[in-house]
Amino acid sequence: MQLTPTPEQQAVKDAVERFCQEQVTPERLVAWEREPRRIDAACWRAVSDLGWFGFGLPEARGGSGFGLVEVACLLHECARGLIPRSVIDAIRGGWALAQLDAHAPELTDVARGAAIVTTALDERSTSEPDAFATTVQTRGDRFTVQGEKWYVPNGLSADLHIVAAREAKGVSLLLVAGEHCERTALRTFDGEEQAVVRYAATPALRRLGPAGDAAGALRALRRQATALGLAEMVGGMQAALDMTVAYVKEREQFGQKIAVFQAVQHQVADMATAYTAARHLAWQAITRMAAGSEEGMELMHAAAFIAPAFKRVTWSAHHLHGGAGFVVEHPLHYHSERAQALCIRYAPEARALATIASDLLD
Amino acid sequence: MRYDFTPEQRAWRDEIRAFLRQHLTEPLLAELREAGNEGKGPLADQFILALRDRGYWGIAWPAEYGGLGRSAIDQWIFVDELESAGAPMLPLTVTSVAPTIMRIGSEAQKKEWLPRIVATEVDFAVAYSESEAGTDMAALRTRAVLDGDEWVVNGQKMWNTMAHMATHNWVAVRTEPDAPKHKGISMMIVPMDAPGVTVQPIYVWPGLRTNALFLDNVRVPRDHLIGERGMGFYYAAMALNFERLSIGSVGMIRRYFRELVAVVRELRVDDQPLREQPWVRERLARLAVDIEAARMFGLETAWQLAQGGVPAAQSSMAKVWVSELAQRVSDAGSEMLGLNGQLHPDEPAAQLHGRMQWLYRTAPLLAFGGGTNEVQRNIIAMLGYGLPRK
Repeated sequence: MQLTPTPEQQAVKDAVERFCQEQVTPERLVAWEREPRRIDAACWRAVSDLGWFGFGLPEARGGSGFGLVEVACLLHECARGLIPRSVIDAIRGGWALAQLDAHAPELTDVARGAAIVTTALDERSTSEPDAFATTVQTRGDRFTVQGEKWYVPNGLSADLHIVAAREAKGVSLLLVAGEHCERTALRTFDGEEQAVVRYAATPALRRLGPAGDAAGALRALRRQATALGLAEMVGGMQAALDMTVAYVKEREQFGQKIAVFQAVQHQVADMATAYTAARHLAWQAITRMAAGSEEGMELMHAAAFIAPAFKRVTWSAHHLHGGAGFVVEHPLHYHSERAQALCIRYAPEARALATIASDLLD
Repeated sequence: MRYDFTPEQRAWRDEIRAFLRQHLTEPLLAELREAGNEGKGPLADQFILALRDRGYWGIAWPAEYGGLGRSAIDQWIFVDELESAGAPMLPLTVTSVAPTIMRIGSEAQKKEWLPRIVATEVDFAVAYSESEAGTDMAALRTRAVLDGDEWVVNGQKMWNTMAHMATHNWVAVRTEPDAPKHKGISMMIVPMDAPGVTVQPIYVWPGLRTNALFLDNVRVPRDHLIGERGMGFYYAAMALNFERLSIGSVGMIRRYFRELVAVVRELRVDDQPLREQPWVRERLARLAVDIEAARMFGLETAWQLAQGGVPAAQSSMAKVWVSELAQRVSDAGSEMLGLNGQLHPDEPAAQLHGRMQWLYRTAPLLAFGGGTNEVQRNIIAMLGYGLPRK
């Protein structure tokens, strides 16, 4: 057992934390609301120059060759420091492509920030492969994709789409160039860039995995996406807790710091307790997934606990900040929005509970 | 970061499991059910001797005091396996008093008491509370006055569980009447066979026995004051902190939950499998998650101890979480059993030997005992996050 980060993991976290403190200021976050990708071009380049987009990609493709735990450390700090989701989604997309095809030639451009990968998996009202309406058509040795994917992260700007589509009696994963698709922006409540993408006999670059037999690969991709989502959520929880602790120690009412009131202390204690359990549940799931030593329900236990816990922590944080945390200039609301957005996409509580119940009872 | 046990830790866990397979027999489990919290019977005594002979009474103690010199994580694995299997609970002597003596006792006191604890010659009840000094422990009035080479102790203690079976009592007494109330207390070992010691039973809701303790001109050797004079409030706080590590240990609840799940899988209600009820599925899944969260607090505190720290905020988190979880498990468990869930543990028809109902009646004790959960939340905020007292 080793419940704290290794020196290498800590170095990653420290570097990202420093960058965020210097570059991702509350003023900038407000200014970036006017940018289509919620970040200015200079900061995007800075992140790219730091090698974040190649962090988890193979060294042979110009990446740093780090594994899931280190990528999770990176995203934990990105979320804690409110790095815009477009950056996080681009890191996630590159990681997903490398998992499906470590030799993909496109990874060289991805690693240096010249190409963005996204995953186009979900449809308007389903995430279940059996219910997908998107299909693959084959003509000779060429194939095309037909259908509509929704809620695609970085959907307007991504250069490469990993698309899940039905083929024969199963599901296939394909790589499609974004420029050949019709893309319509979706406005999201936390400002994440998303789009509806229409594939109208769009030629695919190639298959990622066997035709009609990618259900396992898709499941693995989603489990990793959930694991990374848990790291993001725990990073956000830590930020919300820390800013609340700092605020109650400084805010005075009735002639004293509000931190002396037991009603305040007890809320902080419950936030801290939830955060502590969440942190360990997340890292237990992530490290075991990376080591291939999962015993069963680790990921679902973590998902079912963390998503609602993150939301409760942000609600308590709002309550203890009062109006001071409710103005747009205060960064708390970004965490609160991400809590629900990340829960819905990566760790819906009901689905996790249903999986756990099946494991217990069926 | 790594959350898996090392091969050595897995081998240790397997050793404990093998021991439990051999020694935790059906007749012993039946005897434990009969005995309630007193936990003593001929088979339980044999079990404890077997534990002692293996050195399991002092797993994480240095070898010079008769321990095995293993890590706090090995100690946690041991406790978790014992609880999870339904073995007799480790007494406060081992989980709370001994680790405190080890940290605060003089060298002579450690050499005097620790080997006798490991040999199971000495068994403590703990006496902090009084009728007017509960959560406000520093208000205690039991006093000890030095007379030559002996302390003369007078006063009354409450909730002195196991005093009627213990050989000694671990008592907080006021030795410095002129000092501020937190600075005037000392910890003292009082032999139960000393003249002037009287124990009076108090029976409480779940059918458990605890006691009032009366100390009437009890003469105690001078060197039975452990550690330094006037430091007793802080020593008691340390011992309570260790006690909370036990309360915050989730092994027993995990076992009850496992047994509940096994029953739910088989039960049919209104000719339908109970396990198909959506409310049953959701509630059990939530409890499984909360139990796993509780295990994380256990890991965290064991890890802190293994790094040489004394976890304070973390053991309070564990205690708050597990005590409140016990309420939720027993509530859901007895309700799921339907009308059977109202049967008394002594009723042979009661599912799970009435454990859910027993836990339902015991869980409130876990939340207010060992330091109320309100005080624990203050400790988390103050010691863990630096929120001010004033």
